[in-house]
Parts: sequence; C-alpha cells; structure tokens
Amino acid sequence: MLEKMFNPKWVAVIGASRTEGKVGRAVLENLMESSNNIEIIPINPKIDEILGLKCYPSILDVPDGIRVDLAVIVVPAKVVPGSIDECGRAGVENIIVISAGFKEAGVEGARLERECISLCEKYDIKMIGPNCLGIIDTSSGLNASFAANKAYKGNIAMMSQSGAICTVTLDWAERIGVGFSKFISLGNKALLAENDFLELFGHDSSTYVISAYLEGVKDGPEFIRISQHVSRSKPIVIVKSGRSSVGSRAVSSHTGTLAGSDAAYNAAFKQGGIIRSDSLEEMLDYSRAFSVYPLPEGRNIAIITNAGGLGILAADACSNKSLSIASFEEGTIERLQEKLPAAANVYNPVDVLGDAGANLYQHALDMVLDDINVNGIIVLVSPQAMTDVPGIAEMIASKIKTSSKPILCNFAGGSRIAAGEEILNVHGIPNYPSAERAVASMNALCNYYSIKNRKQHEPVKMDSDSEFAHYFIEKATSEGIRSHGLESMDILKAYDIPVVPSKIAKKLSDVISSAEEIGYPVVMKILSPDISHKTDVGGIRLNLQHADDVERAYKSMMSDVKHYMPDARITGVQLQKMIDGGKEVIIGMDRDPQFGPLLMFGLGGTYVEFLKDVSFAVAPISMPEAKKMVSSIKTYPMIAGVRGEAASDIDSIVQTLLKVSQLVTDFPEILEFEINPLMVMPEGKGCVAMDIRFTLNV
Amino acid sequence: MTSILISSSEEFSGKSSICMGLGKIFQENGLKVGYMKPVGNLLIDVHGSLTDEDSVCIKQLLGIDDPDKYITPIHLTDSLIDDALKSVEKDLDERLIEAFSAVSKDKDVVFIEGTGGIGGGSIYGLSDPEIARKLNSKMLLVTRFDSIFAADRILCDLRIIGNDDMLTGVILNEVPENMLERVSELVVPFFEKRGIRVFGIIAEDITLRSVFISEIVEELHAEVLVAQDKLEQLVERYFVGAMEVGAAIKYFRRQPNSAVITGGDRADLQMAAIESRVKCLILTGNMRPSGAVLASAEEAGIPVILVRGDTMNTIEKMEHLIGHANIKKEVKLERVIELIKNNLDLNAISRSIGVDLNI
Repeated sequence: MLEKMFNPKWVAVIGASRTEGKVGRAVLENLMESSNNIEIIPINPKIDEILGLKCYPSILDVPDGIRVDLAVIVVPAKVVPGSIDECGRAGVENIIVISAGFKEAGVEGARLERECISLCEKYDIKMIGPNCLGIIDTSSGLNASFAANKAYKGNIAMMSQSGAICTVTLDWAERIGVGFSKFISLGNKALLAENDFLELFGHDSSTYVISAYLEGVKDGPEFIRISQHVSRSKPIVIVKSGRSSVGSRAVSSHTGTLAGSDAAYNAAFKQGGIIRSDSLEEMLDYSRAFSVYPLPEGRNIAIITNAGGLGILAADACSNKSLSIASFEEGTIERLQEKLPAAANVYNPVDVLGDAGANLYQHALDMVLDDINVNGIIVLVSPQAMTDVPGIAEMIASKIKTSSKPILCNFAGGSRIAAGEEILNVHGIPNYPSAERAVASMNALCNYYSIKNRKQHEPVKMDSDSEFAHYFIEKATSEGIRSHGLESMDILKAYDIPVVPSKIAKKLSDVISSAEEIGYPVVMKILSPDISHKTDVGGIRLNLQHADDVERAYKSMMSDVKHYMPDARITGVQLQKMIDGGKEVIIGMDRDPQFGPLLMFGLGGTYVEFLKDVSFAVAPISMPEAKKMVSSIKTYPMIAGVRGEAASDIDSIVQTLLKVSQLVTDFPEILEFEINPLMVMPEGKGCVAMDIRFTLNV
Repeated sequence: MTSILISSSEEFSGKSSICMGLGKIFQENGLKVGYMKPVGNLLIDVHGSLTDEDSVCIKQLLGIDDPDKYITPIHLTDSLIDDALKSVEKDLDERLIEAFSAVSKDKDVVFIEGTGGIGGGSIYGLSDPEIARKLNSKMLLVTRFDSIFAADRILCDLRIIGNDDMLTGVILNEVPENMLERVSELVVPFFEKRGIRVFGIIAEDITLRSVFISEIVEELHAEVLVAQDKLEQLVERYFVGAMEVGAAIKYFRRQPNSAVITGGDRADLQMAAIESRVKCLILTGNMRPSGAVLASAEEAGIPVILVRGDTMNTIEKMEHLIGHANIKKEVKLERVIELIKNNLDLNAISRSIGVDLNI
C-alpha cells in the first residue's frame, strides 16, 4: 500500500530552496544524492531552476506525462493545506509533510492539521507527518529527509516519534557503521502512524529487525493485533518514553496526548510479543544483536573470559536476567583441559587467563560451541599487557559469521581495546561496552526465541446470560447510576461468577431477620453509592454470631459511617454468609485510554496493596494469558500452597478472570470494575465473589 | 392585592428561587405579580444607579417593569448601619411603604424577599417580621434543611416572628437525599402536630447547585484560552488535580460534569481531564499550558480558563460559587419551576394568602 511512498520514480519537493541552510535545500540535496532511478521535481513559484533542476511554480504545472509518486512538503504550515489540495488535484497519492507549526504548536496549528487530514481523506492521499524529519529507504535508495547524516544499508527498520531521536540514531549509526533498511520520522502522526509502519516493516523483505521510539500509540487494540502477527517473524524492539510521572507530563505537554499507563504498555507489549527497552542505548544494543545473530534455542549461556572479575560480573548479570550458566558436558571439560593451562578455569565461566592469545580463545570457543548444553556464548576480553586484541577480534569475527549460536562480545576497556572494536565494526559486529550490556542483549535474543516460538491462542469466549446483563446495564444507564457496589452483584451471576449468599436490609428489624435467614455467622457491609472504601468508614463488621451481635454491629456501624461520611447516602446494609478457610484475591479492570480494558490480578490484603504485587493483561485474554496472570505475581506461592498448606483453587481464579475478561469486553460502558475480594477456596472447592465495585459510563 | 414575605433563618436558603418560581407560576395562572426586596444587600451598579443583584435578576425573569428605586428602596450600606447606630432618623418606614404602594399598584400578588437572615435589619427596624407587619403581609419560611438542627432553627424563627398567625408555613429546601425519608416520615409530622404547615420538601438538586462555566470565568476573573463558545454549560463540582494521572482519570470519569483545577505545568493531568471529557479546565497561577494541550482541549470542545490566583485561592472561590450560584439563566429557572410544581402544595400556599390558583 505504501510502495510508491518508499520506492517512487518521481519526487516533487514543494518548497524547494536554493538557500543553503534551509530545509527545502537540504531535502533537495539528500534526494539528489539518492538513487539514480529517482527523478526530482522542485516546486517554487519564485524561481525557474535549482541546482540544475527545472523548477515549476506549482505541482499543477508539472507536465502531463509525469506522474508524481511522492511529494515532500516543506512550505510554511499555513500554506500546507493549499499545497495538499494542489497535490490532490494533481493526483499525487503520497506526501510527507516536513513543515512544523501544526498541533504541536497550538490551537491554530491543530486547525491546520485537521484541514490537512480532511484534504488527504478527500483525495485519498497517504501522509507522513507533519512536523517530521522525513523518510529514508536504503533499498530503493530514497532519502526524502533533511537529515545531515547518511544511512548505510542494513536490515534494521526504525521509526521514531521524535525527529531529534532520528538524528541522534543516524549520527550514532554512521560512526560505527550500523545500517538501516527503512528509517521513518513519524512526526505528529496525523494520518499514518506506528501501526501502518509495523505492518509495512512486517512485509518488507529487507527488514529483519523492527525498532521504534514511541511516546504513545494511536490505536492500542490494533497495535497489539498487528504486533502479535509481526512478532512471529521479526523481532520488534521499542522504547516507550513517559514512564515516570514527570516523563508522562513531558509527553502530554509535547504531543497533547496522554502518555498512558505504563502497566498497560507493559501488558500490551507482552501480549504483542514486543521487546521493551528502557533506553535508546538498549534499543540499539538489542536491535544490533537481532540484526547480526542467530537466536539461541535456550537460556543456557557459556562465558569465556581472560579475567576472573569480568567473568563473575557476567555471571551475576546472567543470573539477574534469569539466564542459566550452562553446565558443560564431561567431554567439553576434558577437551578444554587438554589445551588450557592448569591454572585456567575449565568450568563455566571459562577463564583462559590473562596471557591467553587468539589460539587459546579459539580453542575454548570451539569446545564450548560444540557443547549441546550451550545455547549462547558471551566472550569477554580485557586488555592485559600480553593480550593480542586485534588477533582475538579477528578470530571471534570469523567464528560469529559461521556459528549457529550467538556469540556476543565485550572487549572491555578504552584505548587498548579500540583496535578490536574497530575490527568488529568493520565486520558489522557489535562490541558491547560492558558485560552487563552483552548479557542484556543475550537475554533479548533468548526472549525473542520464546516469542517467535510461542503458540498463538485465541481469547476464550465465555458463556453468559447476555440478555440479563444488557438489561442490567441499560437500566443503570437510563437511571444515570454510575457507581455500583454490592447492590449490583447480580451482574456477576449473568457471567456465572459465584457470588456469596447475601440479603439487603434497610431497617434493624429486617437486618436481624435477614441474618437469621442466612444463618450465622454473618458479615455486615454498608450499602452506599458514595462509599467505596467501606473499611475506612467502619462499614464492615465480620463474624457476627447472633442477633445481639447483629444489632450492636448495625447501630455502631451507622454511627461510625455518619461520623466519617456525614453526607453519604446510606441505602441499607448487606448481610453475607461469613466465609472462611479461603484466600482473598482481587480481580479488577481499568479501561485504559489507549488499550481498552486492562485486567488486573493480585492477592488481597493490606500488605499486598502496598507492595503492588499485581499482574496485568489487556482483555480479551486467552487461557494461557489468564494462567500467566495468576502465576506471574510474586506471591503466587501463597495461593499455590506454601509450607504444606493446601493449594487454592487456581483453576477457579483462571475461570473467573476469563469471565471478567468477557464481561468487560462485552460492555465498553464499564469503565472500572473490581471483585475485591474474590474468596478462593482450597483446590476443587471453587471461589466466591464477596464484594464488587464498578463504574459505568452513563 | 395580597402579599407574602419570603424569609429564612440563613442566607443562601433559596428565597430568591422561591420568589422567582412562585412568581412565574402565579403569572402562568393569569395573576399580575409584583416583587420587591425592600433591603438590598447584594449591591450592583446598573446604568449609574445602585440596586440589588437578586432584584435585577428576578425583575428581568418575571418581566416586571417597576423602577428599581421601588423594588429595592433601601440599600444595606455602612452608612445605613452607622446612622441606625447613631439613631439618625432616615424615614425608612416611609420609603418602604411608598415603594410597596408603587410596586403593588395594579398587582394581584406581591412577593417580598427578605434580606439575609430573618432577624437581620433589627437595628434599623427592618427585620423580616417587622417589614411584614409594616406592610401587612404574611410570611413564608424557606429553610435549607442541611441537618436535623434545621428543625431547631425553624422553631426559633417562629419565636422571632412572635405571632403564629403571621406564618403561613414552611418549605424544607435542599434536603440531602440521605435525609429525605427521615424528613418526610418524622420531621413533617412533628411540625404539623405543632400547627406549623409544611408546604413541601425539595430535595437537593444538582442542576441548581451547579454553576455555569461563564459564571466561573466571571467570578475568577479568568481568561478563556480555548472553547469560548462552550461556556454555557453547567459544572456540578470541581476536582483539584494534584494526584498521579492514573488515579486522576478514575476520579475525573466518575464525575464527568466537573471542572478540574490544576497548575498550568501539569500537562499530564490536563490531558487526563481532557481525555475524561470533564466540562472545564481551570489552570491556576497564570501558567499557560503547552500549545499541544490547548489544541487537544479545543478539539474536544473543553474550555480552558486561566486564572491569576493560586490553587488555594481558586478553590476558595469555587467552594463559594458551587451551591451559591444565582438563578440567572433560564435553564435554572425552568428547573426551579419544575421542582416547585412537583414538590410544593401550591394550592395551600395560594390559599394561605387568599388567592385561588385552582391547579
């Protein structure tokens, strides 16, 4: 769909300029240095010729025989809509608007941007930008940008929401010879955005690795869907900024969008098979690893070093990333012993000692590579007085080219390892400046191996009495009731979620008779649309054993609640069967502005709320995703059974998660939802919802 | 011609609304209605002469064309009080009676609005019961029933009035929803047993407590940065945006008809408010937001208003505004009439002053 955007024959530059230092001149020069197959048409009403090229006053004046495939627009913002209109009339289908002064600049800019969007929609034009650096495609040879650096040919496709980060990346890449297949500056993402390019990169035969710097995504659910598909064949590495509150403030100020909840991004990235990097440096480290290395088929790593200290650091780093230090086969150890000095360590990490030359390194590397217990190798080289840095670098480079296992290197040091680094660069191989960075990249390779090979599961469709649920939501909507609590527990029954036996009462006499009907012991909870944290206002009484207990509890509860929240509307109390012998868990949902229903699971109780030990996933979820949500919390052993304690009914939690996933997917009106607590009984005995809270968008 | 003085033991109890609503309903029933607020306490300058803000508003909404000097003949100023304290004779009674005879000319009913609390004006002899006696009017008590102590106030008011026959009855106004049942089942029978007529109970009403964004702009002397054409919307409450974005979104979307007060530098909260479709963003400290945020607000049609004061100052003003806003707009008058028609015994009120509405 974007073929002519990236591989055009005729490219017009609207706003082309003779003046050096102007963007209109830089774009023209970059295009002129592009492939010989590209014909350039400068557009400028004030001049006839620029840099030897015939200049036209308007795109409408270009001779009939020429069909412009791509127009790059660099005129001031206020005249951009006019230029787009002319492009539309001239039949141009692809445009890149480099000009700034749109939504990022304020209200008038936003109006201009909306005008551009509607013109593009009118003429069916595909637009990149506005407010961007442009695009580069090294396969077709197109450089339609005003970047000062050249991009080498390579297999990494990069897109960035920040033009400056494009410049930084290109500058870094030029210095060490990293190449790109396609390079896209997204700008304001008025029309084309990350989802369009993820799809494009997914189909692009010259792209092996996809990397991106994003401040937000335009269509979250579609982003997950496309990523799930693309990540099966190509690794996607993304830096998403605005994680902290200060960072997210900057994103909002910069783009006029919400940075979005980091938990939602983490969940979405996980579900989409995206490898999230925390910094630009990490993104580039990982991208280079994917660009060069085969994937390790497991997480067992061998370390070869000429310095004990570096080896230990690497081993610690592996442990931090949950990578295993491989146990060598007996044969490997014997063969290592054959050539390595007696003082060398032949176990993992292998220490070839400080005076080791290329030969010893090669021997160790060959032996370890042959070991079936080893999936990947980290080679560490420190510059000892007798270390042949260039020789070792050459040897490693040649091994990497033929190896079916990844060999990641850390030539550690400064000036004395520069020669080794240079040799690796020439071969297109990254040198990671520290053992930790090499290990982090190895971890990314291992993670992607799992992502690539994971089975795809469709979200589970759960049965429900949707007629009742619809009736319930419609009724609440027509009555304008937004906040719901205990009185609305019936909605759970529509999704076959077990609910604690309960009765609602408004007067003391009814309260006692309800308690008698339920059977002691009972729990009493305040009913009020204004109270969400019942415990805080004395609105819960547990383990009431007889009528006297109930009466005292009722009177003191009313007094407490009136004291703490005098304005709260109290509609009565709910009496529940007291249930014990179970464990309390929470299942919740927040409708995320970017991704939609973000499910949450965690263990109940005060400390866990404080520890924030919860897992997230974007609904609808599949069975393995539901299981993963339950098992990925740190306190999972407490429900799985610890120290001889019986295991809780985990299957019933998984089922409830799937049912809640279905409920919040079926009803976009539900903005927030929480079952807290869900009481989980021992294995085989199910679970029961004790309390709920949800907010409807009415 | 008959008249009734609407009084109350406290300010902001709904006297103006009741005058306005009853006036409109009486007019709909073919009666010629007059209005006066003898002692003006909310003084404003209209075309070069001082008058009372309530009077101007009611005069306009009821379409009354009596001159301001008769509708509000006396202005509550420092000099009025000082003269009263120094026993300087100011012929207030004559002015009162002259004005009343002017506003009651060719009228069937005149609604007289009390000033502030029932006993206010005693030092210059114009407390509500004194005015009622001087004009030979009956009284109607409007009480904001915000707690059970309001019942105590009503009983005290009755002692201030002194003569049980002068009081036609009471209206229990702005009763919180959680007290409605108690008030109707216990409080009303309690008064009725003591011979005090309860004309009706009006529950707290969100529309009437709400305030128009344009009123906020006026009160805060704010500058409207975008969506100037969206100021005629009602705001029910306000939030102070000082929390973390995730929590803010939850609060904001639970109460969509709200205004969010936050700093100009809190772009994250501003965007959370815009995404949650709140009614209005109030930025304090005269700190302008980023252009991108303004653009988003404009696209969403959410007014962004900038105030010079700090957040604390702005909260104080908003606190005063919400719940105390005047019924200046038709939307609110319509709601007042609806509430009066649905909740008050209009026939009983009219008969108590010798008029037959026959509704």
